[in-house]
Amino acid sequence: MKPRVAFFDFSSCEGCQLQIANLEEELVDLIEIVDVVSFREVMKEHSDEYDIAIVEGSIMRPMDEKRLKKIRSRCKVLVAFGACAAIGGVNKIRNQWSPEKVKKMVYGDSSEIEDNDYFDVFQTKAVDEVVNVDFYIRGCPPVKSEIKKVITALSMGKKPDIPNYPVCVECKKKENECLFEKDEFCLGPITRAGCDAICPTHGSACEGCRGLLKKPDIECISDVLKRYDLTYEELKRRATIYNYGEKVGEKNE
Amino acid sequence: MMVEKVRTISKKDLDAFVDDLIQSDKFEVVGVKSKGKSYVFDDLENSEELELEYDTTILPPKKYFLPPYENMMNYDLKKPFNVEESNGGKPRVIIGMHPYDIIAIEQMDKVYQDVKEDDFYTRRRKNTIIIGVDIEKPFSRCFAGSMGTHTTDSGFDLMLTKIGRKYGVTVGSKKGRKLLHNFAKTKKAKESDVKKIAKKRDKVKDKFECEVEVDKEDWPSVLAARYEDELWGKKSEKCLECSSCTMVCPTCYCYDVEDKVSLDLKDGSRVRTWDGCLLKDFTKVAGDEIFREDVEERYRHRFFRKGCYLPMRYGFVACVGCGRCARACLPDIADPCELLNNFSDVDPTGDASKYFIDRSAKMEDEGVIHVPHSATIKSMQKLTENETLFEIEMDDGEPLGHDPGQFVEVSVLGVGEAPISVSSPPDDSPIFELVIRRVGNVTGALFSKKPGDKVGIRGPFGNGFPLEEMEKKHLLFACGGIGMIPARSLIKHVLQEDYRKKFKDITILYGCKQPCEVLFMDEVKQWGEVPDVRCELTVDKCPEGVCWEEGEGLITDLFPKIKLDKYDSKNTVAIVVGPPVMYKFVIQCLKTLEIPEENIWVSLERRMKCGVGKCGHCQINGVYVCKEGPVFNYKDVKDLPEAFR
Repeated sequence: MKPRVAFFDFSSCEGCQLQIANLEEELVDLIEIVDVVSFREVMKEHSDEYDIAIVEGSIMRPMDEKRLKKIRSRCKVLVAFGACAAIGGVNKIRNQWSPEKVKKMVYGDSSEIEDNDYFDVFQTKAVDEVVNVDFYIRGCPPVKSEIKKVITALSMGKKPDIPNYPVCVECKKKENECLFEKDEFCLGPITRAGCDAICPTHGSACEGCRGLLKKPDIECISDVLKRYDLTYEELKRRATIYNYGEKVGEKNE
Repeated sequence: MMVEKVRTISKKDLDAFVDDLIQSDKFEVVGVKSKGKSYVFDDLENSEELELEYDTTILPPKKYFLPPYENMMNYDLKKPFNVEESNGGKPRVIIGMHPYDIIAIEQMDKVYQDVKEDDFYTRRRKNTIIIGVDIEKPFSRCFAGSMGTHTTDSGFDLMLTKIGRKYGVTVGSKKGRKLLHNFAKTKKAKESDVKKIAKKRDKVKDKFECEVEVDKEDWPSVLAARYEDELWGKKSEKCLECSSCTMVCPTCYCYDVEDKVSLDLKDGSRVRTWDGCLLKDFTKVAGDEIFREDVEERYRHRFFRKGCYLPMRYGFVACVGCGRCARACLPDIADPCELLNNFSDVDPTGDASKYFIDRSAKMEDEGVIHVPHSATIKSMQKLTENETLFEIEMDDGEPLGHDPGQFVEVSVLGVGEAPISVSSPPDDSPIFELVIRRVGNVTGALFSKKPGDKVGIRGPFGNGFPLEEMEKKHLLFACGGIGMIPARSLIKHVLQEDYRKKFKDITILYGCKQPCEVLFMDEVKQWGEVPDVRCELTVDKCPEGVCWEEGEGLITDLFPKIKLDKYDSKNTVAIVVGPPVMYKFVIQCLKTLEIPEENIWVSLERRMKCGVGKCGHCQINGVYVCKEGPVFNYKDVKDLPEAFR
């Protein structure tokens, strides 16, 4: 029997699910190997009977947490889909401030949001800060090739082989001019590869959307930055976009 | 030297030559083009794009011989076993290769066209015409001058040298001469032109800003003298572990292999892609064990591979001094020139030979090497919770032709390949046995197969146990855990009626962690009943309530039971196969028994991926486990720092 797959979204732009819709004619291939039982962006039907849950978005509220735990209890395999789900992503930028302060900044002193579950927010969490995650499809948005790789691997019962090295490896294979050589700033050396260095290939610096690698450590990065007249503060600032709260270049193991 | 003839060509005619080549549509014409502030080899649309006075390119032209991603074969997953090897494309002309890059390709020829020639590589190589150009303006980090790679007399089909407003054209091959004849308007060079070319080449050497102070010939012994130097640790502290140094290197040839399947799971392909020894997962095996885990060791490995291991194997330093790694490395710790200059006052007295074993593999040098042969699973028999015995039959009806101790690469299309030791003795039948432990994707997929299903087989690979050297000797087996799998192939072989008399007494010591992990219990008991064969079994610990009639304790506890008088040490051959941790202790016991080191044979396990000494994953110091091993004489490997870990 084909595995039953359901898509879920939490706080996100839903652009990751759009990447699946963007598979276009290959969507037909997808539904040949899996039964999609729930996918808000492309179908009306919904079922709570599923084997694989593909979860997009970060977790912002107690009600999200409850919903996510229910999803986890119903599925055999849970996939964190996209940067918001896998690492918290841009939603974590707001963790710089307390939830109360954020609420006030956005809604002012309105009393209408008091005692309303929809507005009851806590600090942003990645999916694996709430439930156990079996696999990750990283990126903002994830690249189609990796979506296909993970889905085919799951339906064949194998563990997808996701790179555990920095973007530089793929960037070199693309024969891009190194952005550091052009005195530009790039998070490629400390960001997990798998995107085929899509941003540097198109002339933009890597922003770290696939998450930071555990190594190298801070002394090493600082040394490199100094050589290029860049600062560690700038590195941290850049990394905030997707990796707020991550210990940038610190040994966190 | 090949037919050497010197001609000249005006700049205008050179442009016309390039344009004609492009327009002929007979070749894919690539050459040096600018990309931002850098240069790259890329498809040429016209001669105007061609830059002959460049410093260096981001990637070397190795990408045309070993592409960053190369589709090796395609298969149809809906059919039982349908594999088609990919073929090469159109003939290609590469214009503008510097001498050091040409020398790098000559080195690559040695590696890829060594025993077990790489057919993809050879096809591309034969299909390519190389037009070199002498260096006008070297890259600031290039040190080719002190490596003797700033000019070359071989490896090219044509070589261009700028003399005044025209170019000298040195013909290096018949292919080159034919190309000139068909496409270019050249003149016979005057004596003065020939002199100018020679003078120009003589002067190239003076143009380099960097110079390596250690003589190329001394690299192996200087490095060998500094294997334990603190410099490795100091430098590697800054390493980003990105392997950019190996990616841009013209003499780094290691690759990884991945199976890719279409979204409808109907088709798939096997793709090889550049891998780098600086990456942590480079040596990771299916059980997630990483053999070269410390960045310091990986950092050192790269320099030793270039400056010591490959020189010992092939006779050349595998660095051509292009300086690309120096540019690509952000912390700037990858430059071999700078590194070797730290050792400029070291006496070249280190013993480089101890990192290398001069032993060829028992491999037939013919046929395709990457495409697996079709085979059928005849039966599957569960042995323990994690191990299953597979009976496999080659579909061509030919016997596998293995020696005890050799291994095969087992393919599950769409998933990948795994190296597995053959556990049955050699015979004339096309059927052989593998014991497979479920640890990774491939073995996991094998467990979900059923009799009648197809698998792919490549091999047998490597060296097995040396049967001739074992004849007329006592045999002492020490097997730990799944070490019994390759050992069984040899045990069953020597116990066969026709062979038994060739050997003296046989002792088999077999240790496992606990009773449920013991493989082939019934067979082991039967072996013990054969005259002059003794079997001793032990488990580290027997859980309470489990019935176990054999010994309890470590395998080393079994050694005191061996009667020394019966086992005249010099006439005993020991075969040791087990987990890495076991070797040290068992070998100590063998020494106590005064068994000479050269009588001890061990089998090592690493990430054997290609099986033919190309991909680089199983390398321990200068030794390829898949080629020189997996069975080694202990004396050969005891001093290899990376062997027993």
